[in-house]
Formats: sequence, structure tokens, C-alpha cells
Amino acid sequence: MQNVLVYVQHKGGHTPKVTFEMATQARVLADKLGGKAHALVVGNGATQLAESLKAYPLDVIHVNDDADVDTFLLDPVVDFIDAAARAIGPSLILIPNTLTGKDIAGRIMARLNAGICADAVDFKIEGGRVEAIMPKMGGAAITTCALKPGDYGVVTIRPNAFAVQASGAGATVQAIEKPSGKTYTVTVEKDIEEGSGELALEEAPVVIAGGRGLGGPEPFDTLLKPLAQALGGAVGASRAAADAGWVPYSLQIGQTGKTVSPNLYIAVGISGAIQHKVGMRSSGTIVAINKDGQSPIAEFSDLTVVGDAFAIVPELTKLVAASKS
Amino acid sequence: MKIVVTVKLVPDPNAEKRIDPGTKRLVRTGVETVLNPYDEYALEAALQLKEKIGGDTTVTVFSMAPESLKETLRKALAMGADDAVLLSDAALEGSDVWATSYAVAHALKKIGFDLLIVGGLSDDGSTGATPGALAEYLQTPLVTNVRKADVADGKLHLERETDTGFQDVIAPLPSVITTALTFGEPRYASLKGIMGAKKKTIAPLTVADLALDHAVGLNGSKTELLDAQPPAVRGKGQVVEAADGASGAQAIFAFLKERKLV
Repeated sequence: MQNVLVYVQHKGGHTPKVTFEMATQARVLADKLGGKAHALVVGNGATQLAESLKAYPLDVIHVNDDADVDTFLLDPVVDFIDAAARAIGPSLILIPNTLTGKDIAGRIMARLNAGICADAVDFKIEGGRVEAIMPKMGGAAITTCALKPGDYGVVTIRPNAFAVQASGAGATVQAIEKPSGKTYTVTVEKDIEEGSGELALEEAPVVIAGGRGLGGPEPFDTLLKPLAQALGGAVGASRAAADAGWVPYSLQIGQTGKTVSPNLYIAVGISGAIQHKVGMRSSGTIVAINKDGQSPIAEFSDLTVVGDAFAIVPELTKLVAASKS
Repeated sequence: MKIVVTVKLVPDPNAEKRIDPGTKRLVRTGVETVLNPYDEYALEAALQLKEKIGGDTTVTVFSMAPESLKETLRKALAMGADDAVLLSDAALEGSDVWATSYAVAHALKKIGFDLLIVGGLSDDGSTGATPGALAEYLQTPLVTNVRKADVADGKLHLERETDTGFQDVIAPLPSVITTALTFGEPRYASLKGIMGAKKKTIAPLTVADLALDHAVGLNGSKTELLDAQPPAVRGKGQVVEAADGASGAQAIFAFLKERKLV
């Protein structure tokens, strides 16, 4: 493993921030391993996205606008990564730890008979050996895992864990040939985007989450959203709020929902059961607003304000907004 | 149609987990082993499909676990699975994601299936890579995060959640699918189910039955766990009583300013 290959997840040329985090980290890893930093962008909008990726410190960007990538589920992408990995030679393959990324990582790991480290938040390179640091069991353990020597290794990358630095010196954009002799059988009949344009929860630097204490769906819009907007963040929820149907499950944080690690997490009316804690405990700073100072969330919050959220949040939103103008 | 559901046996997710800093292992004392909660959704999906398709459709549950945990599988049989297969072998101990997927794929090849349903995530290791690896080794398509499923004209018609919304897809049989939690709450085992489960078969399988080309277990694995530490302790911070909205907001704002978060 000496080269690094970044798989760029995107839709029509729009890519999440984790792509730039991986592109930046690929440079660091490639330099330590003595190889080159490659990226692969395929599907509708790939060429256009490859141009903007030149701003990041990559050596080679492999590109193909192949329509099959969007027509058929998963398999064309896996074949492209396989082809790119074999063309580049022994390499460490970085894939975002997203829903799509996990599917791709599993297939490519088996295809290349490679080891996998999942949900990495940091790396160590020791004498050419790649070690990944990964929180496991909902953050109850911080593990260090090494890829044993082999031609290929796969690491999935937690969004929001690595820094972004646009310091590209002009990567070469190079066409990659479509793998031949493949037939694809899983067709995508309909592809619907929901809540597009809003910041993805896992990537948001600030998360304002609401729970049972909000009493209904409206406060998520009228109370939390304005504060999230003022702080440049996203709105999340506890399972109780999702189960009650106040918000879609896509906003649920915790054991059966999403894991987030923003710089700032504000929990509003959330008691802080272990099922919620495991999804947010690695946040930088945790602030709780709760009417009960004895609730579990106070035990692991940096600041707990005991009071009426409906009175506090609008005032806080005003203070934040005023500080920016 | 033969539906196979893989289930993993994990430490009770409702128990707070803790790593022993000395042994670097999970403290299991007082923590019960249960069916991975995500896998109960996979089983629910299988049982719903069986009810929908009818005919001679069967649901088999597969697990890889120490023989001592065999009885934990009864819960899946009590929920309505027809039978179970348990792959147990000391040679599997310490297997990483690759070695586990490799061994399980060979076991599933031996069992045979038209549809394989896997839980979306496991509650302990949580890599999410296993379904993809199984599909690759079994040479079948993979459709993940399925929230609605139907079989028509010998094909799967599926609605699945994506990172940004949802998709309708059509997949052939055999295929591997994973279920989203929105598929539906897992059913409870009825008293009749619990009684009936006692008579159902849990067939044993060992590594010798699989004719593997690669070693599995700790030595066959492609990764090595070097260290496991409990996270930095997150102490209790300040607790401030807010007399009114303005003073509560002021307390938070001052705190955020001090930490340079505003």
C-alpha cells in the first residue's frame, strides 16, 4: 500500500464536504507512504466536479461521465474503483462513511481481498503500516486498528473528522476507461432528493437537537431552526421526537439514528438517555437546556441551563444574530 | 422461495458499555447477550414477505456465534422463523470484518437462498461493510436500507433510503438486501411462538463444513486491533438555574463566547 485512492461520492457533480476532507488527508497519507494521491469521480457531472477538485492537493483525478453509474445501483461504481485500484497498483482506498460509502466499501473489500477499518477519525503511519483510529460501540471505546501488510486496504472516513485545506498545485485530470464485459441488473427507477439544500446533519459544525420536552412538531421549525440558522448549523432530534412523528427519522441522533460530532451540540428538552448519548457524546462542546437539572444529560454536558426552553432559545437566537451584525 | 436472515448476537445495547483499560476488552459482566436490534428488523421484513408471498416460502435464520449462545437464537424462532443454522468454531475466534464476511458467505452458499436479508448495522462493531462483502462473495446484487419490499414477476421491487432521499429499484433474485428501521417495528413473539420455537431445529455448522481457501480467525484476519481505550471522561460541567429567558440565554451566550463558538 503506497498510493492513496479517494472515492468521490457525488450526485450530478454535487459532493459532500467529506470529499474535500478526504482529498486533503490523502495528500498527508500519500506523502507518508511515499506514493501518489489519486481520486476517482464517475457518473453524470464527474468532469465538472473533477475541475473543482483541482483546488485540493491531489496528484491524479480519474474521471468518467458514464451514465450507467446513475442508471444502475452500486455495481458500476465498484467496477470503476476496482479498475482504478488495479491500474494504480497497491493502494489505500478511502471511502466516505456514508450509507452509499459503506455499501461500496464492503464490496470493494471483498473484491480486492483487503482488510477494512471503518469510521476512521484519525491515522497513524508507522514504518509504512497504516493504523486507523476509530470510535466503536457508540464511542464507548476508541480503538486503534492496523491494516496488515497487503496490496490493498480500505478505510471509511467519518465526515467532519478531518481538516480541509485547498492547496492544490494542479492535479492531472485523466480519463478512466469503463470496465468492459459487465452487465448490470439492479435498475434505479426513481431517485428522489429530500431536504436538498439543507446542511447534512453529520457534516454540520453546529447541531441544535430537540426532544420530548418540545411537546410537538412546531417548535422544531419556530424555535430550533432560527437558532440553527443563526449559528450556521442543522436541526436534529432525539428518538422520542422521531417516534412521535414530529420530525422525519433522517433527523434522529443516537443508537438507531445518526452519529454526529459537531463543534457545538445544543440539546433542547432532551433527557439524555444512553441511546441518545452514544450518537453525540464525541461533540466538541455540549450545552443542554432542560427544565430538570437532575436529568441524565446534565451529567455529560459542559453547560446545563435549567429553565424554560421556549423563553431561552429565542433570546439566545437574538444574541447570536446581533453578535454577527 | 427460501429467505435467509442473518442475525448477530451482541451485548445488550441498552446496557452502558465500558472498556476495561487493563484488558482492553469490553466488560461483559452483567451484560446480557441479545439479538442485534437491527437484525430484528431484517427478520420482521422476512416474516412480512413470507406472509405476503405465501406458498412454500420459508425463513431460515443464520448466525455465527459460540455454541454457548445457541439458545439466544430461540427468540428469532419464536418470532416466526422456520429454522436456524448456527456456525460455531473456535477457529473463527478473533475474526475481523473480512474474515467474518468470508466465512459467513461460504456458509450461506452452502445453505442456499433466493433472498438474503441482513440487518443494516450491528450494534457492537458497526462497520456496515458486511452486507456488501457478502453480496460480492455470493455474486449477487446488493440493495441496502430497504423500507418497502415486494416480489412481482420473479423480481424484487424495493423502495430504499439513500443519503439524500429515497429510490425505487428493481432487482433480480437471488439478491442480498438490508433493511432500514422504517421497514416496521419487529413483532413480539407470541406465547404460541415461544412454545413452538422449542421444537424447531438449530442446525450446527463448523469451519470444516465450509472448505475455505483462506485461514479465518485472528491469524487469517487482514486487520489487527492494536488498542482499545475508554474515551476521555466527559465530566459534569456547570449547571446554571435560569430565572427567565433572557438570563438563561445570556449564560449560554457568555459560555459560547468564552469557548470562541460565537
